[in-house]
Amino acid sequence: MSGTLIDFCKQLEPTQLKLPSALLQAARDGVEFQHHFPTTREEPWKYTRLGRVAALKLSPVKINQSAERLLTAETIDIIFEHETWYCAEPTAGLHINFSGDLDTTAWNACTLQGHVQHINALTAQGGVAIRVDANTKITKPIRIIHRLQGEHTGLILHHQLVLGNHASAQLEVFFEGTSQDSYANVLFDFFIGAGANLHADMLQQTNGTHYGFHTQRIYQQKDSTFALQTITSNTHFTRNDVEVFSQEEGTHTQLYGAFIGTENNHIDNHTYVHHTAPNCTSDENYKGVLSDKATGVFNGKVKVYQDAQKINAYQSNKNILLSDSATINAKPELEIYADDVKCSHGSTTGQLDQQALFFLRARGISESKATDMLIKGFMAEIVGAVKSSHIQEALQTLLD
Amino acid sequence: MLKITDLHASINGTEILKGLSLEIKAGEIHAIMGPNGAGKSTLASVLAGKEDYEVTSGTITFEDQDLLEMSIEERAREGVFLAFQYPVEIPGVSNVNFLKTAINEIREHKGIPALSAKDFLRLVKEKSALVDLDASLASRAVNEGFSGGEKKRNEIFQMAMLEPKLAVLDETDSGLDIDALRIVARGVNTLKSANNATLVITHYQRLLDHIIPDFVHVLYDGKIVKTGGKELALALEEKGYDWIKSAE
Repeated sequence: MSGTLIDFCKQLEPTQLKLPSALLQAARDGVEFQHHFPTTREEPWKYTRLGRVAALKLSPVKINQSAERLLTAETIDIIFEHETWYCAEPTAGLHINFSGDLDTTAWNACTLQGHVQHINALTAQGGVAIRVDANTKITKPIRIIHRLQGEHTGLILHHQLVLGNHASAQLEVFFEGTSQDSYANVLFDFFIGAGANLHADMLQQTNGTHYGFHTQRIYQQKDSTFALQTITSNTHFTRNDVEVFSQEEGTHTQLYGAFIGTENNHIDNHTYVHHTAPNCTSDENYKGVLSDKATGVFNGKVKVYQDAQKINAYQSNKNILLSDSATINAKPELEIYADDVKCSHGSTTGQLDQQALFFLRARGISESKATDMLIKGFMAEIVGAVKSSHIQEALQTLLD
Repeated sequence: MLKITDLHASINGTEILKGLSLEIKAGEIHAIMGPNGAGKSTLASVLAGKEDYEVTSGTITFEDQDLLEMSIEERAREGVFLAFQYPVEIPGVSNVNFLKTAINEIREHKGIPALSAKDFLRLVKEKSALVDLDASLASRAVNEGFSGGEKKRNEIFQMAMLEPKLAVLDETDSGLDIDALRIVARGVNTLKSANNATLVITHYQRLLDHIIPDFVHVLYDGKIVKTGGKELALALEEKGYDWIKSAE
């Protein structure tokens, strides 16, 4: 394998974030110790090859903030375009900051895992830090749009969203645009305070030979609710790592995902839910549809720690392969150290239901439309969980 | 309307239909009865165009067109309707949504403009009442969580919505209690006109108490071995199929 991780980071700029020095040092040690990009011999990368990523020639995307403010209409928009952030006027109880003014008190909870997070810590050029005050309900959705462009760009961002106790918000995140031979490493940290509620929908829909690495880390406090819907459609290369830390009692976590791959797309979803506290629930449901030579990975892990009694954890993954050359590697994992828990997991992969296809055609519906209807029906559970009307519309177009 | 001549069909190399001939005219109701394995369901599947079956020889013309040359959806658009013996469940696809698509694809095929949302809903209301299908079932996912009787009534509801020229009912009576049987039969009888025809495939005579056939055919070992009026069904019920077999 070509270039070392240190060489890869050198192509980019040193981080502009004010990270705690211990974390920065941990990241430096991490890339030095790991040295090269991981190979398929390492479990988290068993089905995702990084050779092409390691060989990318990149120049960093520098980031400015526009003084110009966007008008707030139905959504509170934060748009990244042409190396610039554009942001809506702040509203009461909602604070939006750029250029690495992250909430460092929240950092105490974090550690760094793996080369993606190490690269992010060492080279992040900025990010959006959003804070919602305690007991504040932000009614309009907050929308973060990343419009990618250019060739050989390396976009490294670290976002943070802190919800105060009993606060609630709805977030919509978009990755769109066209970019060639480019790399993005975008990390979100979500801190969900006691009794707080965050609903987040994410659409990954980039064109071109773009390599997208997306990390979401979620820290949940007592009685909080977090729901994330990740929709990945026709992207060249996407790796999602979602890691949930249910730290206190009474949390509910929902992780839903839909991935649609065509041509040579590679879409990898890794999730990891840590149940460290009792009386919590988690519900995970990922569905994939792959055609042509697309490959997909689902690796979902739920770990129930020894003192985490009365956990209800559900995990389901279903995939449809529309061609003989499409591949899915699915691995549901449960690790349970408590004795009074209810957990289930399952993964199925198959073809389109031929009986259903015959039935629809026998009612006069063309084969291609019937196929679309069945795929839409298959995805309905996930689409139904998406609150963002923009993502709903994008999905309808995509599935029609 | 439908003319089947010396039809031979097989599945996985096993011949099931061995020279079946049948003619159905507009306004007629035909019943096909026969023992298990005679080829009744194969005939229904071949008419609908199921690709698992291979037609090795013979012809089927429908309204003077070669039915065997048509795709599954073309047959449906031309007016052939199969009420399934085992209706499929399709999670996530709503009954009305798929019917709307089906109706409009059929209308497009015939060069008629699409049905407006208002007219469509009026039609759903009218036709679901015909088979006592709860309006909430009409909007649910196709057959998901439906009872056996509801599934069969849903088939007739779809038939009512699509108004086919030729309806093929493949053992629609199987698994139905007497009330559901009456409702299904009432639906079929209401839809009957001088311009359409019905082919009822059944094991038992009891459905034919409610849907009175003009002709009854006995299918045995891939061929029609006897044809008669509705009294033939009664004779079969009384004497069993052995009577036919021994007459062979």
